[in-house]
Amino acid sequence: MTVNDQAADSVTAEAPEESAAKAPRKRRINLGMDRFSGLYVWAALIVIFGLWVPNLFLTAINARIVAGAEAITAIVALGLIVPVAAGAFDLSIGGTVGLSVCVVMWFQSEGKSWVLGVFACLLIGLLVGALNSFVVVKLRVDSFIATLGMSSILIAATYWVTGGSQIVNGVSPSFLLLGQKLILGLPLPVYYMVVIAVVLWWLLEYTPVGRYLYAVGGNPQAARLAGVRVDRVTTGAFMLSGLVAAFAGVVLAAQLGQASPDVGSSYLLPAFSAVFLGATQIRPGRVNVLGTLIAIFLLATGVKGLQLVGTPSYVKDLFNGLALIIAVALAARTARRRA
Amino acid sequence: MTPALTVTSMTKTFGGQRALNDVSLSVEPGEIRALVGQNGCGKSTLIKILAGFHLPDAGSAEVGGAPLTLGNATSSEAVGLRFVHQDLGLVANLDTVDNLALGMGYPSFKGAIRWTNERKRAREALKALGYDFDVRLPVGSLAMSERTAVAIARALSVSGAEPKLLILDEPTANLPAVEAERLYQLIHRVSSTGLAVLFVSHHFDEVFELAESVTVLRDGAHVVTRPVEGLTEPELVELVIGRTLEEFHHDAAAAERGAVVLEANDISGGRIRGLTFSVHAGEIVGVAGITGSGREDVAGMVFGGVWREGEIRMEGKHLHRMRPDVSMAMGMGLVPAERHANAAFMASTLRENVTLVEPGRHVRGWVLRQRSERTDVSAWLEKLDVRPRDTEFNMAQLSGGNQQKVVMARWLRKEPRLLILDEPTQGVDVGAKADIHGLVDEAAGLGTAVLVTSTDHEELVRLCHRVLVLRRGRLVDELHGGKLTSEAITAATIGRDLNVEPDQTAPTATRSRQ
Repeated sequence: MTVNDQAADSVTAEAPEESAAKAPRKRRINLGMDRFSGLYVWAALIVIFGLWVPNLFLTAINARIVAGAEAITAIVALGLIVPVAAGAFDLSIGGTVGLSVCVVMWFQSEGKSWVLGVFACLLIGLLVGALNSFVVVKLRVDSFIATLGMSSILIAATYWVTGGSQIVNGVSPSFLLLGQKLILGLPLPVYYMVVIAVVLWWLLEYTPVGRYLYAVGGNPQAARLAGVRVDRVTTGAFMLSGLVAAFAGVVLAAQLGQASPDVGSSYLLPAFSAVFLGATQIRPGRVNVLGTLIAIFLLATGVKGLQLVGTPSYVKDLFNGLALIIAVALAARTARRRA
Repeated sequence: MTPALTVTSMTKTFGGQRALNDVSLSVEPGEIRALVGQNGCGKSTLIKILAGFHLPDAGSAEVGGAPLTLGNATSSEAVGLRFVHQDLGLVANLDTVDNLALGMGYPSFKGAIRWTNERKRAREALKALGYDFDVRLPVGSLAMSERTAVAIARALSVSGAEPKLLILDEPTANLPAVEAERLYQLIHRVSSTGLAVLFVSHHFDEVFELAESVTVLRDGAHVVTRPVEGLTEPELVELVIGRTLEEFHHDAAAAERGAVVLEANDISGGRIRGLTFSVHAGEIVGVAGITGSGREDVAGMVFGGVWREGEIRMEGKHLHRMRPDVSMAMGMGLVPAERHANAAFMASTLRENVTLVEPGRHVRGWVLRQRSERTDVSAWLEKLDVRPRDTEFNMAQLSGGNQQKVVMARWLRKEPRLLILDEPTQGVDVGAKADIHGLVDEAAGLGTAVLVTSTDHEELVRLCHRVLVLRRGRLVDELHGGKLTSEAITAATIGRDLNVEPDQTAPTATRSRQ
């Protein structure tokens, strides 16, 4: 060990102050704009619209509408974080939401218990995830293609269940409470969102599973050689995002009180925008729960404000599309900077 | 004569840290100059400044008497600087003609490409470098030195001023001895036309065989520029790291043989055919062989990362699955070759990189405790002298040698009973290399069985109790004790000394046939 000790001595003697001084300075800069820029932008949006249309924007009812409506998008996005962390796309979440909405309503219109319907939906979510992962892991199809195909299959299934028309009758009032009940002034879905966020935050940041997910997403080959069961992690990720999307569908059905077969697809893009925009926040370069939540409410506030100012309704799609592209561009820039 | 390159008082600071401090040097036309130093000594910064990638804080450069506009890639090309990077920048599935065209386009193009002309031009460009092979083959199928020749031919054929200085980054890294020899000839041929060559290198044998003069940088400063003649390797090492390395030799006889940890019986797969060997507790066994001999497959096959046939036993227990996680559970650990592809998580923190193997150790009450992780990992970073010693830095922010130490820490922390090291000091500077060797010794001293595969024969001599030599997928020799020298390994890998049948000279060769 003499060689090693010598190395340690001479190396530390050379430049200890430099590296010590450099590290914290860099950190301090990062704490500001790099990690929390989203919060500032959000605050700025609230101030801008608050000054612009104060009597419409800064109201409790508006806050409640934004929170309630966005809770479902947020739940879908939170579920999506998991496969994206593991380096896989899940484009089938929109389809799963749509199918789930229709299945839970179909159960009720057929006079069956909605509880049964909810369990059926969650089971379908898990099954969709399992099928996705089978195609990705066993058939070695790129996740983008596999889940794109799956989302089309799910749309077909949705039309098959509904016969192409809306389901409006037989809805149980107790089921509607799931999506519409207010607690402390906030609709129940907001609480679901918070619970799911806390659970996923714990899973991703404070469990070995979270480490494995990010490892697989970061370098699957290295993860495998470090003993991570890459296939199993991928499978779990898809099943979790399927499960969460199915749950979001159930909540959406309870919120709407009716089912139309094309309701799910509009949740896909906002979820992706939020996850990628979220990856520029809190832990730059990495998709994460808190960043995603910030992104969701940042986007929602922007969209809502623009609507109240009087812009046409298509502004929502425009805003989400731009946000996705800008978010990914920002993420790519962060990645380059850090490399 | 005007020097091919003059660099005057070049200084560059990155975020408060001096990467290059008042460095001046000049290279004469036709001279072959080696630029050496540890990782982070400033040699890549200097090259990047010359390439126009970084703008220096101060300093100037002239190429063949013409001033170089700094911070401008077009300018360095226009005045006659040519670069070949370590990864060569070739597109593997395109042929030589197309790869050359990436540099200069298709000169014959007038409405349509005249392929006959292009192929002729490509063949001539290669002939000028002393190479002659089918230019229609995809470069991915060429030998390594041929690929380097294509990259050099492309660099020299870029339009612009006449090339004055060719800058090569690690030209023979990972090249088997025979091919390195061909490349040396190529470079000599190029320099005999009056072109100056400056190459960056970690391999000192390359410096001694190829360079006429050497420039040493340390901590961003110029240490010395001198002729290679009269310089010895230990002297050069001392110049590079600023201290002397202690001679280290294993006493093979004193290596107490512990219990057998790893038994490989008649394993085949990849290029390996019927390999049988064992590793004992506390023993360091090396595997040598030229690229293509099967050496590169051994580590992955034993660990189960690559498909294999035959029997692997860990402490007597049969390992029949080919799954890294199962091998790990049985007590194996693998530090794979090619860190970027196989081991490092660039966007993760050092903490996450180290604890990925068994993060569960820090779970208490359903929660992975980051504070306890930090304490654990800092102790390892301290022990391995990783710099910067901050567990929250990203892997990408570290130099190659430090990254390799982090990967070593990952496995040493796991305390495997068999540690497999595949090219453990690839792309690692001399200082870090010595540190890593020290760690391997220490692990073996504690009773870990160690299997090392390496193209660096000096390293094998330094580390191993015995070395297995592979040729064409078979075990042909086993060197230990007094026979274990770098020259003997090299000779055995290329079969130079074999005027007798291999089976008779090498007693172990018969084993592989059983």
